[in-house]
Amino acid sequence: MKRVAIVGVGQTKFRTRRDDKTHPELTYEAMKKALDHANLELKDIEAIAYGTMDPFDGIYCPERWDVTSGGVGKPFMKISTGGTTGLTTGLAAYEHVASGMFDIAMAVCTQRVGECVDAQPVLNTAVCPIYERHSGAGAISVAAIQATVHMAKYGTTEEDLAWVSVKDHQNALKNPNAHVKLDIGVEEVLNSPMICSPLKLLECCPRSDGAVAVIFASEEVAKKIRDNPAWVLGEATISDNYYAGDRPDLSHWDTLSIAGRRLFRHAGIDNPIKDIDVAELYSPFTIQEVLELEALGFAKKGEGKKFAKEGITFPDGDMPTNPSGGVMCTNPIGATGLVRLAEASLQVMGEASNQIPDVSTALAHAWGGTLQFHTLMLVSSKKKL
Amino acid sequence: MKIGIVGVGITEFRIHEEPFYNVAYQAAKTAMKDAGIERREIDSFILGGYDSLGVGRTISNMYVAPAAGGYLRHEIRVADDAAFSIPLAFMRIKSGLSDVAIALGFGHSSETPVELVEVQSLDPLFHRDLKLAPQMGYAMQSYAYRNAYNVSEEDLAEAVVKDRKNAMKNDYAYVKEETSVEEVLNSDMAVYPLREPEIAKWCDGCVAFILAEETIARRINPDPVWIGGLGWSYDNYFLGARELDKLNSTKLAAEKAYKMAGIRSEDVDSVEIMDLTSDYHFMILEALGFADYGSGKELLDSDFPVNKSGGALCTNAYGSTGMFLMANLAMQIRNGEAERGITHAISGIGQNSVVCVLSK
Amino acid sequence: MVLKFEAKWEIPYVHSAGEHGTKFFEALREKKILGVKCPECGRVLIPPRAFCERCFVDTDEWVEVKDEGVITTVTVTYIKFTGLPDPPYATGIVKLDGADTGMLCLLGGVDLSDWKKVHEIFKPGTRVKAVWKDKPEGKITDILYFEPVEG
Ligand SMILES: [Zn+2]
Repeated sequence: MKRVAIVGVGQTKFRTRRDDKTHPELTYEAMKKALDHANLELKDIEAIAYGTMDPFDGIYCPERWDVTSGGVGKPFMKISTGGTTGLTTGLAAYEHVASGMFDIAMAVCTQRVGECVDAQPVLNTAVCPIYERHSGAGAISVAAIQATVHMAKYGTTEEDLAWVSVKDHQNALKNPNAHVKLDIGVEEVLNSPMICSPLKLLECCPRSDGAVAVIFASEEVAKKIRDNPAWVLGEATISDNYYAGDRPDLSHWDTLSIAGRRLFRHAGIDNPIKDIDVAELYSPFTIQEVLELEALGFAKKGEGKKFAKEGITFPDGDMPTNPSGGVMCTNPIGATGLVRLAEASLQVMGEASNQIPDVSTALAHAWGGTLQFHTLMLVSSKKKL
Repeated sequence: MKIGIVGVGITEFRIHEEPFYNVAYQAAKTAMKDAGIERREIDSFILGGYDSLGVGRTISNMYVAPAAGGYLRHEIRVADDAAFSIPLAFMRIKSGLSDVAIALGFGHSSETPVELVEVQSLDPLFHRDLKLAPQMGYAMQSYAYRNAYNVSEEDLAEAVVKDRKNAMKNDYAYVKEETSVEEVLNSDMAVYPLREPEIAKWCDGCVAFILAEETIARRINPDPVWIGGLGWSYDNYFLGARELDKLNSTKLAAEKAYKMAGIRSEDVDSVEIMDLTSDYHFMILEALGFADYGSGKELLDSDFPVNKSGGALCTNAYGSTGMFLMANLAMQIRNGEAERGITHAISGIGQNSVVCVLSK
Repeated sequence: MVLKFEAKWEIPYVHSAGEHGTKFFEALREKKILGVKCPECGRVLIPPRAFCERCFVDTDEWVEVKDEGVITTVTVTYIKFTGLPDPPYATGIVKLDGADTGMLCLLGGVDLSDWKKVHEIFKPGTRVKAVWKDKPEGKITDILYFEPVEG
């Protein structure tokens, strides 16, 4: 396997709407920023992996239009896997280089959820039209049913969850690209309107417009591009069966545990909380960060609820999560997974807007489907652990 | 390191009554049986096919991943004609991240009007109100092609006749009805200048390949079909910025595939092309280097095998056509009918192409 | 100022239930719920499906399950989403007696206005029973919702 590093990252500002740009213009903005960050030109990019979730933007196969942002005449591959799209697109671009077929490849994801008047009916169309769609299930209700079970089993409280939101919102204040910027505390979260019980408005992500690009390079090339690249140490993706009712126990995200175990074994991680300095987790809903901390072994089962409240996941804690403000404050759905990788890479490079001191290894995560898919990528300033 | 095809599974290509995921399951099952391996021996599941509007479900791999056998395994989806998933599966194995992978393509458009779906792929600002169905785009290319090179209607009809004749011998082909040049020329005009038999008809069907790294491949199958070269490339979206009488995405994809395989078009003894129209039949052959521009018709009179499967003109499932053609070539190589061949797939209005070199 | 254009997707679909689904929906007309039993792992799967994802084998043994079971989880939605049901509505997963997998469904028969009270009634483990449409049509909505079993 060829060693591969991330050498450039570009993000647009994420906002409720980006009326100033068309779809390909937004893609171009992220690509341009990533090229500038890596001090490269478009001609240096040999191949592109492009990701989006079509229906949110109201354009089917938008890659056909978006390719005009800089992909014409290049190998340009469209990836789409639900919420994991951003990270699986990053993974695909990584494989372009790890295979030795290309020296420099770019992953770029664009999403304009803001152009969709309401995202939940779109998410509802992911639910089986024959058996399940009538239940009104969307992404929020799917997370809410996780919360119900976790609370019942472990006594997790509304306040415990509110702290996760407070942490993410405080972090977002330091990230110029973040979408929602609210200086809030636990009271505001607890007093926000109920959406899908027990999850309240300030425990749920926004719908964002924006794009992100990440450039991957082979070892020889990466060294010439920058002296602080983020080396890709490993990846893992897992797919569960389809029906939400098939999940054996919603209080544990067991598929994420399995994926984490595979990644850690491959990358040589013995003790996640010690070996990983910061994690960008896909947690659009408070409860999900708790489940993810437990599934990935950062917290013991049932103890993830304490992490935000006790400050462990705050930037100065032992296991900082989502210093970017996370998905809680910025969610361009099909691009979100790649934002996690972009932010994890910036942390490793020491260039993040809300930089955690002395980061050497960072984890990026995304989930998708009705709690069906997970993708993980691990990046580090070291070539191996 | 070489990467080989050690299992092939093709379902019937027709209008399926079963939901697309059940058809996909049949393809996966057949491919595993063909390779003589179990689901558990496969580590990576690379899916290919369209999404959302195409099948009326927003994340189509939610359904197809378990059907392919991806339960608790690595799984990803290339959202395009499934032939574009082959490069990704190839790169994953080449990276050393996978030993044995399945590439599964699903094509299933019979639950919805595809033209209406495809119109939504047009940008909402400049083009969508023009309601340009893909066939209309193909027709504009046909018009440009015929004008640029004085290609006769008779020659184009001959391409249809040839594909139809070949399809009669292919158990998997959808349209099995021989025709004649006169019949084609007397048939209804569909989208000028294309007559009804000159445009591929939609059907449903799935295909799966089991791919493996060389040493493992040889354990599974003593004679794998090797993937020698791959190339894929995207052309401009704006038709006004394209050379409509040529398929430049195919040309660029072919150049990359030939280069990787270290071969030229002369080194090939069979070709399967995604001829969605009669004009595409010639335009693709030209872009692949088998004839000069405007001279694709010359291959009609040669004995060089083009589309022994019957081509896309006889079998076109929205999302799996390219992979269907590839499976046909793989079987020709297995049967000793060919030693080294090329498969081609195209999507959008001739915008994106992938070319694959397969050999003994 | 930039211009904005409204657009809407209206695309008809006819989704096939497949042979397995067809059998399930025909049984619903008689207010019966059928699952399939996997010949390898022996799990009874609801909704029924043509194959077991875990064992990767065909499933064709049909088993009738009860229209009664236990809740594994629940949520109540309080805001209006375009095209989705009017709030409040309760969505949950119910594991029917005789089935090994849960079924995503609507819950009802109780006042949904206060979520805390709803969560006290509908808890993991609460027994519920299907409330059927008077004249079932062979659709999933023949089961209007699941309500708590008295006592
Ligand atoms: Zn089973």
